[in-house]
Amino acid sequence: MTTWHIPDSVLGGYANGHISPAVAASTEAHLLTCAQCRVLLAPIFDTARLDRIWDSVVQQVDAPRAGPIEALLLRLGIRNDTARLLAATPSLRLSWLVGTGIALLLAVLAAQAGDRGVVFFLALAPVLPVAGVALAFGPQTDPIHELAAAAPYSSFRLLLLRSVAVLASTVLLAGAAAAWLPGPAWLAVAWLLPALALATLTLAFATYVDIVWSAAGLASLWLTIALSGLIRGRDPLLAFQAEAQLIFLCAAMAAALVVGVRRHTFSTLGGSA
Amino acid sequence: MSILAEGIVKTYGRSRVLDGVTFAAGRGVTGLLGPNGAGKTTLLRIVATVLAPDDGQLELLGQDPGTATGRLSVRRRLGYMPQEPGFHRLFTAFEFVDYVAVLKEMTDRRSRHDEVRRVLDLAGLSDVSGKRIRTLSGGMRRRLALAQALIGDPALVVLDEPTAGLDPEQRMRFRDLVSRLGENRTVVLSTHQTEDVAALCEQVVVVDHGRVLFSGTVRELVGTAVGRTWTSDERDAAASVSWRLGTGRFHHVGAAPMGVELVDPTLEDAYLLMLGDRAREGAQVPA
Repeated sequence: MTTWHIPDSVLGGYANGHISPAVAASTEAHLLTCAQCRVLLAPIFDTARLDRIWDSVVQQVDAPRAGPIEALLLRLGIRNDTARLLAATPSLRLSWLVGTGIALLLAVLAAQAGDRGVVFFLALAPVLPVAGVALAFGPQTDPIHELAAAAPYSSFRLLLLRSVAVLASTVLLAGAAAAWLPGPAWLAVAWLLPALALATLTLAFATYVDIVWSAAGLASLWLTIALSGLIRGRDPLLAFQAEAQLIFLCAAMAAALVVGVRRHTFSTLGGSA
Repeated sequence: MSILAEGIVKTYGRSRVLDGVTFAAGRGVTGLLGPNGAGKTTLLRIVATVLAPDDGQLELLGQDPGTATGRLSVRRRLGYMPQEPGFHRLFTAFEFVDYVAVLKEMTDRRSRHDEVRRVLDLAGLSDVSGKRIRTLSGGMRRRLALAQALIGDPALVVLDEPTAGLDPEQRMRFRDLVSRLGENRTVVLSTHQTEDVAALCEQVVVVDHGRVLFSGTVRELVGTAVGRTWTSDERDAAASVSWRLGTGRFHHVGAAPMGVELVDPTLEDAYLLMLGDRAREGAQVPA
C-alpha cells in the first residue's frame, strides 16, 4: 500500500487528456492499483470523452476490413457507401477483371500477326465493357436484386454508378493492352469511341428491353460490322476510320440523351416474376 | 391500417396468381397462411413494392405505392425478407448487412456500422459477423436475411416464409423476436405452417389459389371448425381426414356424424377443413 497519490493537477490533466503520454501511462499504472485515486478521478472524468474513446476502439476492432476492390476504391477517394455498393458489382470482381485482362492479352498477341489480328483486337475491346455493364445490374446477375428493388436507393443511380465503374476499369485495361498494338498510333485508341457508344446504347435499349438482351444484341451487331472488314478485298479497318468514329460519337451522345430522358423506367416496378 | 389491399389481381401469362385479394393489416403480427403455390409470395412482393399489381387498390403506410413518391416513402419505412434472399457469398455477414444499409440510404459510416451491429445482435449473429456467408449454416442465413430486414427500425416488416429451414430452437428464438417486433410495428409474414400462426399471429389471412378464404383473428378461424372434429377408437369413413394419435385413438376432421365424441378443434383442424371445403366446391363446378 503506497502513501503517495496523484497530485490534483496531474489527475485533472489525465481526465481531460492534456498531459504527455509518458505521464498519462504512469498515472494509469498507479490508478490500476489505487482505489483512492480512482474515486477522486471518477467525478471529474469527462464521460463524453470516454464514450468517444470507447467508440473508436470498437470501430477499430469491429469494423470489417475492406476487400481488395473496396480498399482500392477508398484509396481513390471514393465515398465509403459508394465503395461498398461498387464492391458488390459482379463485373468488378477480381475474377472478372482477370478474365478481361487475359482476353485482351490474347487479342494483343493475335494483333502481332498483322492487320487482321489488329481488327480482332479492335472488335473485341468495345465488347468487354458492354458485357461488364450488362452483368453489373439486374435480377439475373445481382444476387441481392430483390432486396435492392425494395430499398429506397435509386435503381437508376445504382446502375449508372456501376456502369461507370465497370467502363472505367475495362477501358483502363484495354488502354494498357492497346499500347502493344502494332501499326500507327491512332489505332491504339480507335476502339475507345466504339466502346463508349456500345455501352451507352446498351443502357439506352435497356430502357425498352432487358439489359442482357440489349447487350447481347448490340454486341452481335457490333461484331458483325467490325469483323466484316475482314472480307477479302475490303479495307479491314473500315469500321474504325474517321467517318465511322464520328458516327460512334453521335450514337453515344444520342444514347446518353435517351437514357437521361427515360431514366424513370429503371425505377418503376417490375411487371414480371 | 398499415396495409389496405382491395381486389388485388396479378397475372403471369395465362395463370391468375392473385384473383382479387382483399385484406387489411395493422399493428401486430398478421399471418398469411396457405399451401405452396397459393400466391403468398406474389402478394408479399406486391406489399414490398417490388411488384406492381395488374389491378386493384393498394395503400401502404398511408401512401400509394403506385406513385414514385409514395413508393419511395414506403421503401424508407419498410423491412423486407424475401423467400430466397440472394447473398454475395464472398461477403461477410457484416458486409452483407452493411451493403443493405447503404441501399437504405445510410451514408454515415459510423452510425451505419452501429446499426449493423444492432441488427446482427438482435438476430443473434454477433459472433459470426466476420464470417463469410458461404461458411454459414442455412439457419444462420435465414437469420441474416431477417437481420437486414430490421435495419432502420422499419414501421412495416414483410417476411416471406421466415421459419422455413429453422430447427425447433431457432424457431423459438425467431418467435420471440417477431412477437417483440409486432408490439409496435406491422409485421406480415407468410407460412404454410399452422404452428407459426398459432404461436405468433393475432390476425390470419388464409389464401388459396390466389383468393382469400378467410380473414380475421386466429380465434375466429378456430371457431369455424367447432363441431367438426371428434375422436374415436377406430377409423371413421365419415371424416375427410383422420389420423392416429399417440394415445392410440383416432382424430377425425370433417362432417361429424350424430353421437360422436366431439373435441375442441385446433387451428390446424380449421385450416384443413377450410382448404377441404374449398376443394369440394371446386370439384362441383362442371368442367
